[in-house]
Amino acid sequence: MNRNLKFICLAPVVIYALILIFFPLIYILFISFQTSDNYGGIIYVFTIYNYIRIFDPVYLKVFFNSAIIGLFVTLACLLIAYPFSIFVSEKKPHIQKLLITLVLIPFLTNSLIRTYGWIVLLRKEGIFNTILESLSIIDNPLSFMYNNLGIFIGLTYTLLPFMILPIYNSVSKIDKKVIEAARDLGAKPLNIFFKVIVPSTYSGIFNGCIMTFIPAIGMFFIADLLGGGKTMLIGNLIKNQFLVSRNWPFGSALSIFLIIVTFLLVRLYKKLGGKLDDLGGF
Amino acid sequence: MKKIIVLLIFMILLSGCGQTKNEVNILNWSSYIPDEVIRDFEEEYNIKVNYNTYSSNEECLAKLQAAKSGTYDLIFPSDYLVELLIDKEMIQTLDKSKLTNLSNLNPNFLNLEYDPNNKYSLPFLAASVVIIYDSDFVDGEITSYNDLLNPQYKNNIVLLDDQRIIIGLALLALGYDMNDTNEEHLEEAKEWLLELKPNIKAFDSDSPKTFMITKETKIGVIWNAEAGLAMNELDNLKVVYPEEGFNISIDNFAMPVNAKNVDNAYKFIDYILRADVMQKIIEEYPYKNLNIKTQELLSDTYLNNIATNVPDDYFKEGIFVKNIDEAIINYDRVWASIK
Amino acid sequence: MKNKTLKNLFIVLVFIFLYLPIIALIAFSFNDSKLNIIFEGFTFKWYKILFTNTTLLDALKNTLIVAVTSTVISTIIGTLAAIGLYKYDFKGKNFINSLLYIPVVIPEIVLGISLLSIYTLMRLDLGLITLIISHIAFSIPYVIICVRTVISSMNWQIEEAAHDLGAGDFLTFRKIILPEIVPGIVSGATLAFTLSLDDVIISYFTTGPGSNTLPLQIYSMIKTGITPDVNALTTLIILVVMIILFTSTIVQMRKIKKGYQV
Repeated sequence: MNRNLKFICLAPVVIYALILIFFPLIYILFISFQTSDNYGGIIYVFTIYNYIRIFDPVYLKVFFNSAIIGLFVTLACLLIAYPFSIFVSEKKPHIQKLLITLVLIPFLTNSLIRTYGWIVLLRKEGIFNTILESLSIIDNPLSFMYNNLGIFIGLTYTLLPFMILPIYNSVSKIDKKVIEAARDLGAKPLNIFFKVIVPSTYSGIFNGCIMTFIPAIGMFFIADLLGGGKTMLIGNLIKNQFLVSRNWPFGSALSIFLIIVTFLLVRLYKKLGGKLDDLGGF
Repeated sequence: MKKIIVLLIFMILLSGCGQTKNEVNILNWSSYIPDEVIRDFEEEYNIKVNYNTYSSNEECLAKLQAAKSGTYDLIFPSDYLVELLIDKEMIQTLDKSKLTNLSNLNPNFLNLEYDPNNKYSLPFLAASVVIIYDSDFVDGEITSYNDLLNPQYKNNIVLLDDQRIIIGLALLALGYDMNDTNEEHLEEAKEWLLELKPNIKAFDSDSPKTFMITKETKIGVIWNAEAGLAMNELDNLKVVYPEEGFNISIDNFAMPVNAKNVDNAYKFIDYILRADVMQKIIEEYPYKNLNIKTQELLSDTYLNNIATNVPDDYFKEGIFVKNIDEAIINYDRVWASIK
Repeated sequence: MKNKTLKNLFIVLVFIFLYLPIIALIAFSFNDSKLNIIFEGFTFKWYKILFTNTTLLDALKNTLIVAVTSTVISTIIGTLAAIGLYKYDFKGKNFINSLLYIPVVIPEIVLGISLLSIYTLMRLDLGLITLIISHIAFSIPYVIICVRTVISSMNWQIEEAAHDLGAGDFLTFRKIILPEIVPGIVSGATLAFTLSLDDVIISYFTTGPGSNTLPLQIYSMIKTGITPDVNALTTLIILVVMIILFTSTIVQMRKIKKGYQV
């Protein structure tokens, strides 16, 4: 009987993990060592050329640009989310619940349509420019989008909840008595913040950073829509290999490279004492 | 409770696959056939149209290859893709006896190099890539691609998001062949595009007219129909066929091998070839019309605009994109380095 | 006191940032003009037009089918898995455990492409079925994480007690374990459902003819020109989400408030 229950519980997940996670990734790994026929087909001849090609300066530049944009977005999210979480956690519990729900609502509506909302606001004849011009603050419309600024705003906006939730979770777990004790012992507010509050939220911070940074470099549609297709992020580059340049092996090699980068980040997170279960758990 | 859930899942799964419906699976360019035309077809023939779109020939090929053979019944590849698909044995020969409106097609666009005798494909519409500009914004005239390099046009140009066309345009500007694969020439093309880059506001193939209409950009290198639509909205737009040469393409009906709903696909082709149906398509997306009967029905606005009704002698001067085999890797490099 | 005002101001600013694009969209759903550029007059017509837009409604239907099916299946598999992985040991457990984190951490585009490539390899018909499988694939780990959090804080002695009193495995599972972990299951299912509703990237790669979803439809509409009936649809969706979330929040707020006053 017990064996039976064990089987029912575990068989589906094992099958799932092998067929839908393990096997696809192994297959991608396999393709990344094959040769492209330049027409979307694969010639089964072993090569490491696809990995060498990643280090072509042209493609390294794409990685570099993505990393820069990813870092700026992560930093911006952190600078907004951290004080926000602290201020919210100082409210009464039922108000906290309400405010966090208010954070979740936009997050639960379609992210594309919210991106479109930004287009309506930011474009040349958009709401921002119209208001600024009618108040005579500016004479000529400003370029808020179809450049890196647009990508930055769009990504920061879309990913902010991924930063707020883990940080809020860790901030709200801080024992208020420790802070009071520190204050009673005469510690200055700044010292309390950097010596007491920040260290006890390290894992929340890093969790939020991973959950912001990784999607930021992979989200091709925001770069397409708000960046005017001018800036290539890793996500766009990979998408192009599959849909434009018809080169699955190179696209696969890029994907594997991205997975390796991700794993290094997760390892770092674990080293800093973060728990894997907290990643993506809201 | 559990039973209900199981039942629900089964019902949804069954409604999703199982049934063989009277349908046709079409893979077409975005912004190419109006919704209304498709709805009318569904009603008239009682056939459900499953419609998917792509924004470049490469994407069309990728979607065709990724899906199981027989997934799509009708596709709309351009000239060079038709040639490639014939070569790769991915499309089937057409049985023209099933088409009653075949005689409507302009014979000048039949029997072309990419598919002699139209064994595998029939032309649907033709397009050209033109320059369009706001004459109030531009001092003097724009007549060539090299004119676009003028620093005064900073951040004011929209280009098609298509690596073959845009790199080809740079090659033309430098006096080379549009389909050149010489690496040094491609390097020069890259430099030319990098010089142009500060002037580029955006790359967009799906609806570049929007950039012109909302005045986000003042100059565009875009499809002729998109130019025509923008000109309908704004008065001060001028269209130019650049002196260095320009790209043309002919998009075709073609049926992938193993297509499941062949008869419905023929019905759809025949329906599109009808003079009144093609008229509706051209009115909404004013590409170059290839239907003789439709030509008589079109408005003067369409007929008198060289952006929409591309004159035949202009069209003859245009250049087709050609397949370039492994040189695509170098094109990809150039594309990644200018983005 | 001044300090507190500044803090509240900051909170308000963050909320303005979060809600600004949504408010813009809602406002333009009542705009008389077809272009989302200038507000020309108040109208409800886009809501009427919405219900005649079969492309959009078809996409909505597909989205709901995919979201409901994938949520139900991934919640069942995920819940069983969370219990199984907690209670039982088996060869390769660590391996399976680490595989389960992969969909959470790797970029969606990589998951989408790897799934597409095995569908191509296995010659599967791309369509609703492949979409559902893909959505199950990225949802299960989130369900497991949510359920596991509850399980690890659960009192397992009750289970033993039930056994001692003669209850069989399935009875214990249904009467003892399941009720305890319901909150975890609910949050896992909610998460799976919302992730599925919103997914663009994985769907983009794994969809086929006749299985357009709302996010994909909106993606192509944003590129080719959006009409205000999309705004109308969004407004309705936001309304539904708000009603559901607020009812559950108000119930919880009351509980918290009571506990707080005592």
